[in-house]
Amino acid sequence: MEDIDAMFSDMLQEMDLLTQSLGEEAESAPLPKPSSIPEPQQMNFSVGFTDFNASLHDLEDNDLDALMADLVADISATEEKFATERDTSKDSAPIAPKPLQPQSNFGLPASTDTSKPATSSNSIAAPPPPPATKLSKEEQEEQLKADKIKLALEKLKEAKVKKLVVKVVITDGSSKTLMVDERQTVRDVMDNLFEKTHCDCNVDWCVCETNPDLQTERGFEDHENLVDPLSTWTRDSENKVIFQEKKDKYEVFRNPQIFYMWKKDKKSLMDMKEKDKEQLLEENFCGASVIVPDLEGVLYLKEDGKKSWKQRYFLLRASGLYYSPKGKTKASRDLVCLVQFDNVNVYYCKEYRNKYKAPTDHCFILKHPQIQKESQYIKYLCCDDELSMTLWVTGIRIAKYGKQLYENYKTAVRKASGSATWANRTIQASSSASTPSPKPKVKAANGHAPQPTKDTMGPANQTSFPPPPPSLDILPPPPPDPMLPPPPPAPPAPPASATKVNKFPPPPKFPQSSFPPPPMDDLPPPPPPPEDAELPPDFLPPPPPSFGSYGADMLPPPPPDPTASFPPPPPGPQNFASAGGAPPPPPPPPPPPAPAPAANPSAGYVRKVAPPPPKRTTPQLTAPSGGDLMSELMTAMQKKRGQ
Amino acid sequence: MAVWDLSISVEELGPEAPPLKISVTSDLHIGGVILKVVEKSQIKKDWSDHALWWEQKQQWLLKPSWTLDKCGIHADARLCLTPQHKPLRLLIPNGTTLRLRVCFSSPVFRTVMGICKLLNIRRPEELSLLWPVEGKKKKKDKDVEEEVYDITCAPLPSTTILKLANGMPAFYAESPETEAVYKMLAVSQPAPAPETIAKMYRTTNVTEKAQINGRWLDSSRSLLQQGVKENDKLILRFKYYSFHDIIPQADAVRLTQLYEQARWALLLEEIECTEEEMMVFAALQYHIGKVSLTEQFVASCPAMDDLDSALQCLEVKMEGESSADDMLETMTAPELHDYLKIFRPKRLTLKGYKQYWFTFKDTTISYYKSKEESSKEPIQQMNLKGCEVAPDVSVAGQKFCIRLLIPGPEGMNEVYLRCEQEQQYSRWMAACRLASKGKTLADSSFSSEVQSIQSFLAMQKTTPSNNTAQTDESINTHSLVSPRYQKKYKPKQLAPRILEAYQNVAQLSLTDAIQKFLQIWQALPDFGLAYIVVRFKGCRKDEVLGIANNRLIRIDLSIGDVVKTWRYNTMRQWNVNWDIKQVAIEFDGNVNIAFSCVTADCKIVHEYIGGYIFMSTRGREQSDTLNEELFHKLTGGHEAL
Repeated sequence: MEDIDAMFSDMLQEMDLLTQSLGEEAESAPLPKPSSIPEPQQMNFSVGFTDFNASLHDLEDNDLDALMADLVADISATEEKFATERDTSKDSAPIAPKPLQPQSNFGLPASTDTSKPATSSNSIAAPPPPPATKLSKEEQEEQLKADKIKLALEKLKEAKVKKLVVKVVITDGSSKTLMVDERQTVRDVMDNLFEKTHCDCNVDWCVCETNPDLQTERGFEDHENLVDPLSTWTRDSENKVIFQEKKDKYEVFRNPQIFYMWKKDKKSLMDMKEKDKEQLLEENFCGASVIVPDLEGVLYLKEDGKKSWKQRYFLLRASGLYYSPKGKTKASRDLVCLVQFDNVNVYYCKEYRNKYKAPTDHCFILKHPQIQKESQYIKYLCCDDELSMTLWVTGIRIAKYGKQLYENYKTAVRKASGSATWANRTIQASSSASTPSPKPKVKAANGHAPQPTKDTMGPANQTSFPPPPPSLDILPPPPPDPMLPPPPPAPPAPPASATKVNKFPPPPKFPQSSFPPPPMDDLPPPPPPPEDAELPPDFLPPPPPSFGSYGADMLPPPPPDPTASFPPPPPGPQNFASAGGAPPPPPPPPPPPAPAPAANPSAGYVRKVAPPPPKRTTPQLTAPSGGDLMSELMTAMQKKRGQ
Repeated sequence: MAVWDLSISVEELGPEAPPLKISVTSDLHIGGVILKVVEKSQIKKDWSDHALWWEQKQQWLLKPSWTLDKCGIHADARLCLTPQHKPLRLLIPNGTTLRLRVCFSSPVFRTVMGICKLLNIRRPEELSLLWPVEGKKKKKDKDVEEEVYDITCAPLPSTTILKLANGMPAFYAESPETEAVYKMLAVSQPAPAPETIAKMYRTTNVTEKAQINGRWLDSSRSLLQQGVKENDKLILRFKYYSFHDIIPQADAVRLTQLYEQARWALLLEEIECTEEEMMVFAALQYHIGKVSLTEQFVASCPAMDDLDSALQCLEVKMEGESSADDMLETMTAPELHDYLKIFRPKRLTLKGYKQYWFTFKDTTISYYKSKEESSKEPIQQMNLKGCEVAPDVSVAGQKFCIRLLIPGPEGMNEVYLRCEQEQQYSRWMAACRLASKGKTLADSSFSSEVQSIQSFLAMQKTTPSNNTAQTDESINTHSLVSPRYQKKYKPKQLAPRILEAYQNVAQLSLTDAIQKFLQIWQALPDFGLAYIVVRFKGCRKDEVLGIANNRLIRIDLSIGDVVKTWRYNTMRQWNVNWDIKQVAIEFDGNVNIAFSCVTADCKIVHEYIGGYIFMSTRGREQSDTLNEELFHKLTGGHEAL
């Protein structure tokens, strides 16, 4: 037993030394590297710079400051965690060694001011409640030992975490430098970037990776881990991380019909009703398995290791990308699998007409993420036009990621609406107000059931059946998600604006989730909507409405808005999900303290690109389009048809 | 009022016995008639299940308070007093035959509800009955008498059926035989012998598939009305491919039967899939078969749930406490080291395998000239994270190679590792598999991975002549694939391919594996399509109508392509003209189609469309009660209205 005790105190001391040396390092070098504790399999380099030292010179002052703030917050938060743990054990055992010296002598000449917010955040962290009962001596010893072990392990764990310094290029030419640790998902990193760039946080923002050698670009998915793919870059890589808006990122959830009904007449796809879109999403993403768009058609495939491109008839299936060999049918049994998606990612390519003599510039490749240079293991494909390239790339993403993609989108919408402007909220008000409308509609639809019809078919010996009630389980308005930022009870204290400004102290958070958006989870849940709005309609046929009144059903009078008394209503998925054909009620006046977008340096740029939000929710209102992928695609299609 | 004679035959008196004559008046009600007959028959028994069947009119007289006059019965009517529940042989999705008492007097929809109640299958509206394909009797009828599981002892479905704590209806617990029946229902069947698959009737084209759909019984009429006799054989099958609200704990039988139906559909090529997909299905079948032998569905009741969660809670606590040890262990991760042979195929080199001293640590393989030099710098290190691992094994040839495709910036590096024997191979292979997923040797799944590789190697040992069904250890890989691939590959060729797919599913639990199987099945492009050969109005040739849960498709028979798709949500109404047997459908935007049905009655098409509409009305919030009335309203024919 004593041996083990001794071992642990040894280990703790060692840990202390390590942390101390960390502090010293911080003093000597402009950039402290918290992860520089010697760990065998640890890698530590920066991304976006040719080498680490150069990267430091490359950094501008403000970048450095920001980075310092990151690091300090990171380190002190960790220390804080140990400290609180220590406190609890000190209560029971004052003899405990104090490994906390590093915190106090952790001087940071470069950024004394930025370290302040970090320490202030420390003081906010609530210490855990002291142990309630007095423990026996033995138990105390046990406890003490357990604490020691835990502490040691925490430190080891923290030390093991891989971190990268990443330079992110923003579309306006500027760049931000931030530290990403391996536990962070792309979503976390984007939240961090939103805060730093003051952009509008819409769902189209995307962290992309470009590879100049292969001339590729790929948007990381929100659930992906960022450190992993970046670690596979070569040392001398010219690859870049870009933060930009990509319309195709979530287009499939805004206009699923483009992808799932691509064979249909393009014009009818334009004015698809919102509820039909919802139903498409429900059918394809909410079932037991995700349904992949049934894409098929001729693509050009670059033969392995050859320069020529050959036409082949390709089909997309959930299990992979297939083509039908010459002279064979499209039947499943004859298909040849080109690639399965488990180990490859799909990348957009640029200017392959020049580089590889591709028939068009609309190319995409499938490759293992680790492959960075031209290789026979890369599958090169070329499409006739941009639309079909978007279809295929999105289809492959759906096949590869499945439901996760939809989850990402829902999270993105939630986050976007959480920090959206008030203007956005008024729009959502209108859409959520119209959601209860399906209820009367369905009743009416079912009302047809017992009605025999007189049709041209003649004899009375004929029955008529009602139009199918649309799949009911998707009709009731989506119940408010508990995660949704509910309407703030009082106008002041909009959470979004508080954290947007850098001068404010960062919220007290543990580093893994560093720089989260406003902690909306803590807010009270939104008021539950009245019961009856949720209940499925019953199927007792009401008095039969006139035959063929289906069209009229489409525009029921908007029922009294149950949430009207709580302005603004809960923003969220409804934004996308459910604006039926109902005319939106007049938007409530925006609450007084709008978060100042004027203070937002990139706001001008952002506003230019972002589509006016109403367009997405209610296509009927579609006004001029600007940069909307959907309308671009449509014009492209029309052009093509005109040829 | 005039008294007249009514002749009624009583089934209990035997087929030869003359009908009993009772004197009645026209205002006597049906209940009274039954009473009189029973008295006259002088048989003492429980008559509560009996009812009168009017033969000439093919109709049941089920309303005891109706008078003979109201029913329109006169002296020339021949009535029959018969039980409403009679035994029926039922071929269930897993291919076994069950003998049980079912209701012959209620609409088939209700009869299926009763059957499902006995079999403990939730959501009976998704199933229905159909006539079996007439077996070609030419094939000498000496076929072994098929095994029939008898549960005619079960209580009538009209009574309340008690359930045990584990969800099993209580009557199954009465004897070991019935308990075996329930096990047969709830646990997937062992893989069939390859010949069994090859011998069974297979559809080869869409038209043949369409024939099957002409066999569905009419849901709105009773079995007796449709000519089903006592002890006839019918097939019970999932008809509507819209499986609502599956809860693994409560749906043991439902999930198993659904899996069996999907498996047979794939084995018999009723639904097409690619070779790659077939290998995944084969791997899952193998895995499910293996796990079924050991693991059972944990059917649970609320109390059990509580206990489960409590146990889980406890486990989490324990884990939390033991995490310290675990983490320390990971610091001293286990390693593998051995002399192995390596081969790197490169262009223009014909070097063979060379022996080195290999060590496997974390996710990295390093190799040295010899064991003695292992403290020095390795010749090379290979990190396997994200790499592709494939077996290249022949048990007979004692060849145990691991093919690695290791990604690097320049492309994939191909490396072969050759092991000396099975044990060594299993360990190194397992380590490579885990490393490719970023897991280390310390991962808890290592030993089970080793085991599953070994058990799969055993698969290769079976000789192709040994065509027995699945046993504990060995299995013929031909049992897992459809005849097309039985012809294309030898069992030995299939084994490594199935093994490759198997490695991705080997860690799944039984329920997860079944659900995964169903998911991949449901993601197939042709999933859930019921075909009917139809003749569109104004067309001269037959075409095929495919009916799915959300759309109708029109298929050109000559090229087999989908010509047109109509979705239900754009459907305004559909009409059936029963006189000229034509279905007319109107869609949004003034699209009208009309067709007559060739391979099935138009009632079947009508019921399919209405049925799917009905299925889509089942909301999540809705209670478990089934809206039978709505179903009949949507699917019933003219007589129903």
